[in-house]
Amino acid sequence: MGLTLNHYLVLGAVLFSIGLYGALAKRNAVAVLMGIEIMLNAVNITLVAFSFYDQVSQYKTYLTGQIFAIFIITVAAAEAAVALAMIIAIYRKRSTVDVGEIDIMKW
Amino acid sequence: MELYQYSWLILFAPLFSFAVIIFGTRVWDLLSRPRVAVQEQHEGDAHADAHTDVHTDVHTDVHTDAHAVEAQGAHGEDHEEHGPGEADDEDPKVPQLTMGAKASGYVAIAIMALACLYSWILLLSSAGVFGPSALPAGGIPLFHYDWLVQGAASYTISFHLDNLGIAMMVVVTTVSLLVQFYSQGYMENSAGYARFFSYLSLFAFSMLVIVFAENFLVMFVGWELVGLSSYLLIGFWINKRAKPAEDRLSPATAAIEAFIANRVGDVGFMIGIMILFVNTGTFQFSELATKVQSMDKGLLTLAMILVFCGAIGKSAQVPLHVWLPPAMEGPTPVSALIHAATMVAAGVYMVARTFPLFAAAGPAAFQVVAWVGGITAIFAALCALTQTDFKRVLAFSTISQLGYMFVGLGVAGSAYGPGPGMFHLFTHAFFKALLFLGAGSVLHALHHAMHREVQDMRLMGGLAKFMPITAGTWLIATLSISGFPFFAGFYSKDTIISLAFKNGYYGLWAITLLTAGLTAFYMLRAFILAFGGKGGDFGGLWGGPYRGTGEPHESPATITIPLILLAIASVIAGYWTGFFSYIQPGAPDLSIAEVITSPITWLGVVVALAGFAWAYTLYCRVGMERVHQVVESNAVLLFLYNLTLHKFYTDDLYDLLIRYVVFGISHVELAFDAYVVDGLVNGVARLVMTAGRDLRYVETGKVQSYMAAFFGGIAILIAVVFVLVSFVK
Repeated sequence: MGLTLNHYLVLGAVLFSIGLYGALAKRNAVAVLMGIEIMLNAVNITLVAFSFYDQVSQYKTYLTGQIFAIFIITVAAAEAAVALAMIIAIYRKRSTVDVGEIDIMKW
Repeated sequence: MELYQYSWLILFAPLFSFAVIIFGTRVWDLLSRPRVAVQEQHEGDAHADAHTDVHTDVHTDVHTDAHAVEAQGAHGEDHEEHGPGEADDEDPKVPQLTMGAKASGYVAIAIMALACLYSWILLLSSAGVFGPSALPAGGIPLFHYDWLVQGAASYTISFHLDNLGIAMMVVVTTVSLLVQFYSQGYMENSAGYARFFSYLSLFAFSMLVIVFAENFLVMFVGWELVGLSSYLLIGFWINKRAKPAEDRLSPATAAIEAFIANRVGDVGFMIGIMILFVNTGTFQFSELATKVQSMDKGLLTLAMILVFCGAIGKSAQVPLHVWLPPAMEGPTPVSALIHAATMVAAGVYMVARTFPLFAAAGPAAFQVVAWVGGITAIFAALCALTQTDFKRVLAFSTISQLGYMFVGLGVAGSAYGPGPGMFHLFTHAFFKALLFLGAGSVLHALHHAMHREVQDMRLMGGLAKFMPITAGTWLIATLSISGFPFFAGFYSKDTIISLAFKNGYYGLWAITLLTAGLTAFYMLRAFILAFGGKGGDFGGLWGGPYRGTGEPHESPATITIPLILLAIASVIAGYWTGFFSYIQPGAPDLSIAEVITSPITWLGVVVALAGFAWAYTLYCRVGMERVHQVVESNAVLLFLYNLTLHKFYTDDLYDLLIRYVVFGISHVELAFDAYVVDGLVNGVARLVMTAGRDLRYVETGKVQSYMAAFFGGIAILIAVVFVLVSFVK
């Protein structure tokens, strides 16, 4: 037996859940950001796996999922840069990166 | 035919003079405005300029207003001879008219004279006296414009001309012309002279809109315009106060009362028109006449009775007669115009115009018309018996005579058509205008003699010696309205009374006959109280002791000329024997020989003479003071006297009704509005606000809680989809 699509999907789901837990439960903004990155990459794994095990398509060169994953990696890099810059700015202003305390956009 | 095609000129002539006066005086006002500040000017100059402002009554800015106030103050000082106490009681007076004011009067009179001449030419031509040809039976259309077309229904503005319209038009233009001519003398000292003439022109225009109207829509527009013009003119002396001692309202109040009483009737009028429109899809009189034949009879009868409600309001029939006596507070020429030609005649004319519709409805429609008219005739005649106010007697006599007209319309039947009712309107217009203008002449003279406004007949007496022309013409009108043989009123009134008898309305016949006697009594009473008295010539009919102060004089020629012309018309108007067939082709003509030989006629004459004799005995032989003593000392007579003097307490009844019933309902409605309607609206607003205030705490500002909600939501969605997919197949 080799690796099947289900193995990749389970891996993606586990990674996504870990990332979600990190994003929801961590108080440090950097950790939250890392959780989000894990979630993005979990989705990337799923996309690539679907692309590789694509049973519908007749051609192996059907690469939409992989191209999609590259796009997500690119956007995630940009997002990480912006988010880190914001975290630094917030830290300079408020001397904290605890997301529980960053709540001025309320009633 | 060209002669008739241009008759719309008559319609627009008064509107034209209205516009000319309104805009002309405005320009005059602007041109004559002082170039420098008022304070620095010589007193005399400021005075002259200020007069212009008062006349035109078009104040646009504070500067001009200050002017007018100053002018009024100055007048009070100028007119010491008018006596103290007058300034706060009456409208501002002016010592002399400016050229602009006079010119606006001339414009109005000249244009109205042309319109009057044209309408007389139309009348003579269409009656076949001379000229090209008679009008076709259905009249000719003059103007047609589709104002709004909505599917099958079209709302059109259309005017037409037929014999009925021409007869009415002649009355309107003639009386308007004479009233305007008369007003030159009567209003010469009144501020707002130009405005007065513009309103008179507007009034004539409004009435002509009704006359020319070819459908209910246009007629309703004219109907409301007449209401507006009468409002403006009754309340013309806007600063005059009420006189509770004489039971007289202020003109402003009287104007509002007239307007509101008419609105009550108009509600019915409007609903009636709507019923007709919904069922036939047209407003046009000519189309309605054929289309109502297929309408449900009961519904049509209801619609026509509702339409008649409008006439009840406009023509001051019971129970909406209350506005007409207070309307006497307007200037007397206005009263003449309202009573003779424009305002109250509109109701009669409307019923005459819609006569085919009434005929198509069940007999109940005509019976309502006739009985309302009959009840009004005798009710108003009873009220008129004891009135002491000179003009108020005439007001009640108008209501009574309008009742006759409605009886005439109601009992005539299809053989005569609207002819008898319109004939009485036609003759009545002349003698009632004469009565009012004569009364105005008396009031004018007494105002100059006593330096205050006097309308109480107990302060008159013996005036025939001082003003013979007024007295003579007034006597002619009195005889005419009382149905004295061979005067105009004799023929028109007798036609109605004998028609009621011939067509089997014996109750109405008895009422109208009795009313004729009462009419003769109160008219001769008014004549004797004003112009005669015990101790005068001819057994007290001509001259006698004068109970007022000062020395009255005959009025100027501008006032007496219309009186003489109207006196002539009051005699000869009854000799147009072809009137019925003129109004409705095929109707039998008035036969003078038959009238004179009919015993019913002479019964009416005997009743009228009895009324005369009664009045003569009481006021010439016994004397007014003695009559009053007897009435005061007898409880029954005093009760009856008070009953009629207070108009059977209808005013007080309405007062109670409005104060407790209408205001009570208003309070209930106010409560409903405040608690239910407002409560609903405010409740919804409060709910939204409360929800918003409480729900905002959901917004924590913590990004992780939003995220948790987001993914929690997705989890629930997935669970739902999963359950649906797995179990609901």
